[in-house]
Amino acid sequence: MGPTDAVVVSGLRKTYGRTVAVDGLDLAVERGQVFGMLGPNGAGKTTTVEILVGLRTRDAGEAWVLGMDPARQGRELRSRIGVQLQVRGLYPRLTVRETVRLFSSFYKRTVPIDDIIEQVGLTAKARTMVRALSGGQVQRLGVALAMVNDADLVFLDEPTTGLDPQARRGLWDVIRGIRSRGKTVFLTTHYMDEAERLCDKVAVMDHGRIIAFGSPSDLISEHFQEQAIEFSNSVSADKEKLEKLPGVTRARFGENSATLYTRDVPATMSALMQLATGGGMHIDDVVVRRATLEDVFLKLTGRRIRE
Amino acid sequence: MMTFWQLVLANARDIGRDRMSLFWFLLFPVIFILLFGIIFSNEGTSTYDVGIVYDAGNPLGEGLAEGARAVPVFRTHVGGDRESEIQALRKGERSLVVEVPTPSFAARARSSGGSLKVQVYYNETEPTARQVLVPVVEQILNEAERRMTGRPRIFEVTAQPVKSADLRMIDFLLPGILAMALMQLGLFGAMRAVSLREQKVLKSLGATPLKRELLLVSEVVVRMTMALIQTVLIVAIGYAVFHVRILGSWLALLGVVLLGALTFVSMGYMIAAFPKTEEAGVGLVQVVQFPMMFLSGIFFPVEIMPAFMRPVVNAMPLSYLGDLLRQIMVAAPPQYSAVTDVGVLAAWAVACLIVAAKFWRWE
Repeated sequence: MGPTDAVVVSGLRKTYGRTVAVDGLDLAVERGQVFGMLGPNGAGKTTTVEILVGLRTRDAGEAWVLGMDPARQGRELRSRIGVQLQVRGLYPRLTVRETVRLFSSFYKRTVPIDDIIEQVGLTAKARTMVRALSGGQVQRLGVALAMVNDADLVFLDEPTTGLDPQARRGLWDVIRGIRSRGKTVFLTTHYMDEAERLCDKVAVMDHGRIIAFGSPSDLISEHFQEQAIEFSNSVSADKEKLEKLPGVTRARFGENSATLYTRDVPATMSALMQLATGGGMHIDDVVVRRATLEDVFLKLTGRRIRE
Repeated sequence: MMTFWQLVLANARDIGRDRMSLFWFLLFPVIFILLFGIIFSNEGTSTYDVGIVYDAGNPLGEGLAEGARAVPVFRTHVGGDRESEIQALRKGERSLVVEVPTPSFAARARSSGGSLKVQVYYNETEPTARQVLVPVVEQILNEAERRMTGRPRIFEVTAQPVKSADLRMIDFLLPGILAMALMQLGLFGAMRAVSLREQKVLKSLGATPLKRELLLVSEVVVRMTMALIQTVLIVAIGYAVFHVRILGSWLALLGVVLLGALTFVSMGYMIAAFPKTEEAGVGLVQVVQFPMMFLSGIFFPVEIMPAFMRPVVNAMPLSYLGDLLRQIMVAAPPQYSAVTDVGVLAAWAVACLIVAAKFWRWE
């Protein structure tokens, strides 16, 4: 942790009644990076973001955002950051352009309205009322609103949730654009592939704690030297046989699927094929891939991220 | 200032593009005025059917008939017999039936020292008949009697109008409808805050450096502007369609409209502090505004309400706003004093603001 960090958090804690939403969080986010907070719903991501932007008070711990304490310097802080909340409520009968203009009137430093609208690809919808926008367009408008003040640090809470793949890719480009201008992005997501492709650093969160932290490739290689062979099978597989295939270090079984982690893909594959042709086991949709953050999460928690 | 203007603009646009709220805000009061105005439009120029029963050649009967014809609001019916006229009274075709005895009896009565018995029948469901019509008939009879006896006039009454004191029903109603419109503007208007809270708009704005107080002030400013638009609309329609002229000062009217709007905006925000959803909020507002609409005497005089209702009437701010607007707009006789009206309205505004501030939630 250094003075150049955009966000520094130590021992952060927040409870709602008996529920512990954030349970002793330690975190440092370097400037100029896309930082991803990854975890399932209810892991405490949104609560953390809302504390960091000064919308909620923390119960314990310290938090510094751009060198300011969000609990005491909330308004000053909010003038220097951009925020897209997960649940973004907007005036339904204002147009995209009117909404961006309204929000830019809240800040001293602003970017030309039409530039921002263009950056998020809403130029064609500039005169459309918010209530007539699709979910993806509202999300992009939310990102636009987080950019109106040309902030050095932008918080995006689940910016791509509910978007179709094409719209998600579009937003990734917008987020990469923010980074390319030397700014820091703090985003939350429960999409593993999003964190892997977009983020420089990832904190994997579960039950209010960070259970892994690092760059996606470091996290994967730290936990997996293996590659994964995935397939589905309609007849229940002979689990013991599969686990004992050559090269296999670990196996995971779903209801109709299996994942074998192996250090030796050719050896495992040929043994698997033999098993399939000789043993009468029916397998389908075989995929060989390297391990992902999803596998890391599975390994650390024993659960898939969206269950 | 830029921020404030943008907020006002955003609010005005968001409201202005909502057809439903425009209906309640602009069309509803107009429909009310037109409806009530048309229902009561003949009230001001109403005529009374007066039946006079007397034998042909009876000078007193003829004198009365002649005098009655000279009264513009009387439609005089002569020539019927007692039974048929009483029957007409029962059917509601007469407001009053006067039976004048024949002169021979009159002469005899006078010689025996007694006075002549003129029988007047009236419809008991029509209070004006007894209170107004009977004295008028007496007056006409006195005049006829004076002519017959040749007794000189001792005094003469000349009436000189000072102010348009004749209050038609529409004169009474129009300020009431304005008061109702201001109440609904304030109460239902505040439901917008509930909806903005429910839709997380308030939360979104909270994630910016915007001061939330500024947001509230801008909402109130928009409401006040709407109140003025409503006032202009209602007064204009009252004048154009029903010739209701504003007798009081325009400045006083402006002040009272703003005070009234503020009172009900405060009350609206007090109510808006509690419900989680707009739906629940509207239900709550209905519970408050419905009794107020019918019990505060904005549509009919409080006098016709039973005495035990008076404390309820006296507790409602709408009673005072209606009274004050009536005094200013059409110079109606005060129900409370103007000072009381202003005081009670201001007290309600302050009390509601305090409760609203205490229980207000942004999310």
